[in-house]
Amino acid sequence: MQSLLRATRSSNFANLSHGLPKRAFSTSQRYRQATPQEKPVLMKEFKIYRWNPDEPDKKPELQSYNIDLNQTGPMILDALIKIKNEIDPTLTFRRSCREGICGSCAMNIDGQNTLACLCRIDRDGGKNTKVYPLPHMYIVKDLVPDMTQFYKQYKSIQPWLQNDNPPASGEHIQSPADRLKLDGMYECILCACCSTSCPSYWWNQDEYLGPATLMQAYRWIADSRDTAGDARKAKLQNEFSLYRCHTIFNCSRTCPKGLNPAAAIAKIKLELSSE
Amino acid sequence: MTPPKPKSGLQKQVLSLYRRALRMTGTKPQATRPKFLLFFRYTFRTNAKQISPRNVSFIEHLIRKGTRQIESFEDSAVKDCWVSEEMVRWNEEWKSAAQRTRTT
Repeated sequence: MQSLLRATRSSNFANLSHGLPKRAFSTSQRYRQATPQEKPVLMKEFKIYRWNPDEPDKKPELQSYNIDLNQTGPMILDALIKIKNEIDPTLTFRRSCREGICGSCAMNIDGQNTLACLCRIDRDGGKNTKVYPLPHMYIVKDLVPDMTQFYKQYKSIQPWLQNDNPPASGEHIQSPADRLKLDGMYECILCACCSTSCPSYWWNQDEYLGPATLMQAYRWIADSRDTAGDARKAKLQNEFSLYRCHTIFNCSRTCPKGLNPAAAIAKIKLELSSE
Repeated sequence: MTPPKPKSGLQKQVLSLYRRALRMTGTKPQATRPKFLLFFRYTFRTNAKQISPRNVSFIEHLIRKGTRQIESFEDSAVKDCWVSEEMVRWNEEWKSAAQRTRTT
């Protein structure tokens, strides 16, 4: 048994030792190593809205954090995560996919509603970047807005396929031309950037549905497979739900996915008026 | 005796929320009703004691938070709720204090 062990050991050694002599990286002298490339330090100030419901006596405030941009990823979300990891673990924000498909990290960055994961950091170190939660929303904590009302409105338009005579077998058939009508609407991720940038929505949040919800309403009205279009339109036929849109176009300007809610609203208005 | 001051809108909102919570406890099973009752009494009364009536924005925040919580409690699938030891202790103190004022 012992001789067998010795034999395997020596064969291992033989395998290792053929070719160049191996030497651990840690033992090679420093002057023989390549000089590591060090990036210059580029400090940038982030001013972030802070409010904690557990400290009711403190008013909301902007807290600044300085981080080195060369040690951070390119997007605002990377900076926020770095701050949370390394400087202040109490900083609260929503994030999930970090690639602009979940819509969790919607916030107001330098005055523009956008997704933190799709917004590049301005690399001008002299200027600070201000990060606020979505405007005119109730705040749960720090950068987390209360989306209850927004989701309730979305639910109110019944965002699902309604068809009273489904095909006998298989799926609903749709022509490519009909499918094309849904492009530019189905991509909406409901991040609420557009709704919260709309002054009309700020003042009438309880009654006006807002661009995001209206675009989804039109997405179902325009769908050739949906037969409840008339009921959907009838629901919008009042002073507030739809007609509070005064074509301000903030929604289309701010949409981080490059969609055009204003156009969808205009099309609903056209369909309602041409009836 | 002077008539009581008319209540502010915020006070009315809080009271209507409290009323809604108390009415909701009636829909729960008999066995767990006292727990719900204690939960709401504790939350409303301790908050009312701790928070300055001038801190309007915070009270509004609590109303929103409470509304959301009561909405989820109103679901008929919710049959029980959890009560902490602190709440039980508070309840005993509160009841004995109420009895003292009644006897004096």
